[in-house]
Amino acid sequence: MKRTLLSLTALLLTGAAYAETINVGAITSLTGRFATFGKMQKAGFQVAIDEINAAGGVSGNKLALLLEDDASDTNKALAAAEKLLNQKVPLIIGSYSSGITKPLSQYMARQKVPLLVATAVDETITKPGNAYTFRVNNQSSVYSRSLLDLFKRMNDSKAGTIKTVAVLTSNDAFGKSVYTDITTLFTKAGYQVVSKDTYDQGLTDFRPILNRYKALSPDAVLIASYEQDAVAVAKQVKEVGLAPKVIAGIATGFALPNFLDGAGSAADNMLVAMVWNPDVTYPGAQNLYVRLKKALGGEEPSQHAAQSYAAMLAAAAAIKQGGTDPEKVREALTKININTAFGPVKFRDYGGYQNQNAVVGLVTQVQGGKFVTVAPATAAKGKLMMSKK
Amino acid sequence: MDPNTQALVQTLAQGLLTGGIYALIGTGLSLIFGVMRVINFAHGDFLAVGMFIALFLFQRLHLDPYLSLLIAAPIGFGLGYLVQRFLLARLGDRLESSSMLATLGIGLILSNGLLLGFGAQPQSINVAYATKTFALGGIQISLPLLIAGLGTVLAIVLLNLFLYRTELGRAVRATAQNPLGAELQGVNTNWVQAVVFGLGVAFAVVAGVLLLPLLYAFPTVGENYTLKAFVVTVLGGLGNLPGAIAGGLILGIIESLGAYYLSNNYRDAYGLVVFLVVLLLRPEGLFGRTVKRV
Repeated sequence: MKRTLLSLTALLLTGAAYAETINVGAITSLTGRFATFGKMQKAGFQVAIDEINAAGGVSGNKLALLLEDDASDTNKALAAAEKLLNQKVPLIIGSYSSGITKPLSQYMARQKVPLLVATAVDETITKPGNAYTFRVNNQSSVYSRSLLDLFKRMNDSKAGTIKTVAVLTSNDAFGKSVYTDITTLFTKAGYQVVSKDTYDQGLTDFRPILNRYKALSPDAVLIASYEQDAVAVAKQVKEVGLAPKVIAGIATGFALPNFLDGAGSAADNMLVAMVWNPDVTYPGAQNLYVRLKKALGGEEPSQHAAQSYAAMLAAAAAIKQGGTDPEKVREALTKININTAFGPVKFRDYGGYQNQNAVVGLVTQVQGGKFVTVAPATAAKGKLMMSKK
Repeated sequence: MDPNTQALVQTLAQGLLTGGIYALIGTGLSLIFGVMRVINFAHGDFLAVGMFIALFLFQRLHLDPYLSLLIAAPIGFGLGYLVQRFLLARLGDRLESSSMLATLGIGLILSNGLLLGFGAQPQSINVAYATKTFALGGIQISLPLLIAGLGTVLAIVLLNLFLYRTELGRAVRATAQNPLGAELQGVNTNWVQAVVFGLGVAFAVVAGVLLLPLLYAFPTVGENYTLKAFVVTVLGGLGNLPGAIAGGLILGIIESLGAYYLSNNYRDAYGLVVFLVVLLLRPEGLFGRTVKRV
């Protein structure tokens, strides 16, 4: 009896401030080959939820996270979405990878419930035709564009002239999107693409292809990879003695703090295009970094955690406007305009995209075992170091 | 050397060393098949166990992966010995037909056990020499890759000394040729088979340890290597040890050259195409003989 009373009072005390609980659905890859990214997303969601509830919740209601694991598998993601929709969530945030998110966005559009994409970058996800998909993260071409800008600056300042590039990407929705960006954008900008290659997930021996690059000796080698292959490529680049003026990784695997640990000195001076790094100048970024790190149990957070954090804030803002009705939430999402520690979130139709947030692309360089932002000039925190060759 | 030749020679050399690792994995599989007629479908998973033993020792005790061979190889031997003694031996006369399911099951248990113990995310270790290279007449060779290649040679030499210079080795060969005859001559074939399975697994575990500085470990890393070992063994002729070595080297070179000249995407396909052609033209393998068993 005493215990029941105690727990009842405890319940009243914690629940007193809130009228009711609003569930937000989220799907990510907590297990399977994208598990590391899923862990980052989970931390991002949690930090945002804690922040929102600490500030009094959404219109006096407590926000709760219903997180589903898709085990890095499309079918499981769709099943998870169905389960969440049965629980009447007003919107879903997810999933991690492009290959899973694209079919998920189509399913959600048929169900007429908004999908907020936090991390997936495949260009086609925010192509017009799907009014229920909103993307907090940039589209993949942002990465290529920020590298293009940097190369132009280097060519202008004679820091190192880049004329020829080789492209190596993974053979999936994300990789193919980057592949198309680079081959079209760089060719258009007057660069010569001397070799373009893709590889299947699970490849562990990149030596033959890197040997071929060595013979071709391009000025820049641009690589897009998920987690473990990013480490393997970086190590083998050094191993085969491939030494172009610039080696650049496109976010994702290269943007993980795990990459720095795994690749060690092989990562030195590598450029990594990403959209968020703890050294960005957005207000609250440092504080967000500290909180994310705490949520990850002391592990370094990556941009994926920050993106997920921003997506949850956007979800809360939309629920505040539109309540829990999916259609009203969708309408509210089109009008959102918030500033977060990840950067501003505002969904617009522009440049052939629909409901796409515009994020500033950064280029970081691995210096002393850390990512240091070197471009664009307005955000740079360090100087670009050229290899000693 | 002009850059193209240099790149090609470098690819060949690296392909040969990669092939050496395939040979090491294939030798274990071939040894087991040669003596027991068991195709060990858990072979790649034993390799994964080797990787994780080295990973664990490195993370917890900062033990150099090459030093952890001293611990991992006996563990591998013991594991194989126990699996044969307490599982495969119980299948008795049904061994040849049921071993496929039995070893598949063992593989599942191993990979899921690793998943439970170490989590799904890939993990790599970063030792100082992981990216050390040295130039050999203009071509660059990675130190861990070379060590893996040399380790393979050493392991295979030791295996041959064991098979041809020791009494137990003679018993192994006798059991391989004719288990019943060997039994009649006083060979304890049950024990010999357990030793052979232990040795085969130890080879897979050693290969896993040698791979760790070059690669990353994750629980299902073995799947791919089971397939490779299978291709290698069939290329060389099932149960034929020198054949397995040659098969491994051939596979390594074919894959590297294919990836260099044709496309990186069909890397695994090159080996399988050769595998099919060999099966069609020489079902007994490139170096195999059809041996009648009594």
